[in-house]
Amino acid sequence: MSFDLHRPATVTEAIDLAQRLSPTARYIAGGTDTIIQINRKKIDPAHLIDVTCLPGMSGITETADGFGLGALTNYRAIETHPAFRGGLRALIEAASVVGGRQVRNIATIAGNIVNASPAADFVPALLALDAVLDIAGPAGRRAVALRDFIVGPGKTDLAPAEIVTGVRFARLPANSATAFLKEGRRRAMEISVVCVAACLTLDADGSRCTSVRLAIGAAGPKALRPQKAEAYLIGQTAAQSTFAAAGQLAAEACAPISDVRASADYRRRLVAIVVERALTTCLERIAEERR
Amino acid sequence: MTRKILNIIVNGESHQVPIELHWTLLQVLRNEIGMMGTKENCLEAECGVCTVLLDGRAVNSCILLAGQVEGRSITTIEGIGNPEHLHPLQETFIECGAVQCGYCIPGMILTAKSFLDENPGCRPTRDEIREALAGTLCRCTGYRKIVDAVAAAVERMSISGQHQ
Repeated sequence: MSFDLHRPATVTEAIDLAQRLSPTARYIAGGTDTIIQINRKKIDPAHLIDVTCLPGMSGITETADGFGLGALTNYRAIETHPAFRGGLRALIEAASVVGGRQVRNIATIAGNIVNASPAADFVPALLALDAVLDIAGPAGRRAVALRDFIVGPGKTDLAPAEIVTGVRFARLPANSATAFLKEGRRRAMEISVVCVAACLTLDADGSRCTSVRLAIGAAGPKALRPQKAEAYLIGQTAAQSTFAAAGQLAAEACAPISDVRASADYRRRLVAIVVERALTTCLERIAEERR
Repeated sequence: MTRKILNIIVNGESHQVPIELHWTLLQVLRNEIGMMGTKENCLEAECGVCTVLLDGRAVNSCILLAGQVEGRSITTIEGIGNPEHLHPLQETFIECGAVQCGYCIPGMILTAKSFLDENPGCRPTRDEIREALAGTLCRCTGYRKIVDAVAAAVERMSISGQHQ
């Protein structure tokens, strides 16, 4: 590999540089995907633009209505953030299965998002929170929902020279909880066979579902929200039987492939079970909070 | 290709190293500075033998560009102790016989050090130790004694109050 490394000091400078050096330039942050792709000769950029020093893209902020995660936030920072230990635990659960500690100390959340791997673990957790991305580019700033941002394997809505600067999501209403579950062939350093994030809100009695968001990874060309399963649960009693039915609907919504890790059929069966478990976990967590 | 001067601190010592911008930190540490304790293997952040501490936190030096760590502080296995004054982790790895071929051990010890330094005074369970070391592989599969050694170092460090 051979390339130039540029280290701009501002977002504007980075965008100008990317435009000038296009199409042979790529942004690099933690580099835990980019350098591997260069080593494997999947990409061959002549210029890498390091975004790790850019101001305004770091840190986790809490606002009146929600949370903001700087694009450069690493997984270790998510894993250890006290505000995510309650209802937002899916974020900690998803962050803690990304690579080993060495990778989590340096890999960024925006890197995982723009890489658009169908098996990305953190993407479903953010999808279940209806996350929105903030983007800066030659045409100015814009915001786009994560569910519209990832288009397919390795493909996103990002225009040339655009940079993701942050991720935002709303605070959860009362009687809500999240959960993230991952199934792999082993328990660490593993690409998901299937992963599921769930965000469940119950009514004031804690008996019926008022809001449900499910996100499934590694079971289609991109992480998906099974809309029929979500819609089915609204107004239903939160119970094992309805969660199992939602799991079946979620499995029907998937489009998995057979690969070295699992067959498509196995993945579909797994989705049904893991969705049910994720919802059950949310229910248990809401019950804990109410106690 | 033209070279650029990289300023880094390695084991407390400042270095000005002419580098090519596509070099990784691993290449600079081994080939330019001569810190041969940092090992090279998978080059994909899968195995952890190249682990060093970047401002105290474990990272894979094999996929980290040297140009991205300008001005920062690196600790390699050579920097945490010496034959007269071993780090508690080095002592307990020797005493527990936690070394077979030895290739993963620098990375294993630095991964463990990063974990223990992040949680000073904590008494991690064996499962927590195993989780913390998950990104560093021992293909001799000598994990049991490695976990023993880290657990023993925790005891020793809590008695002596030593955190370095």
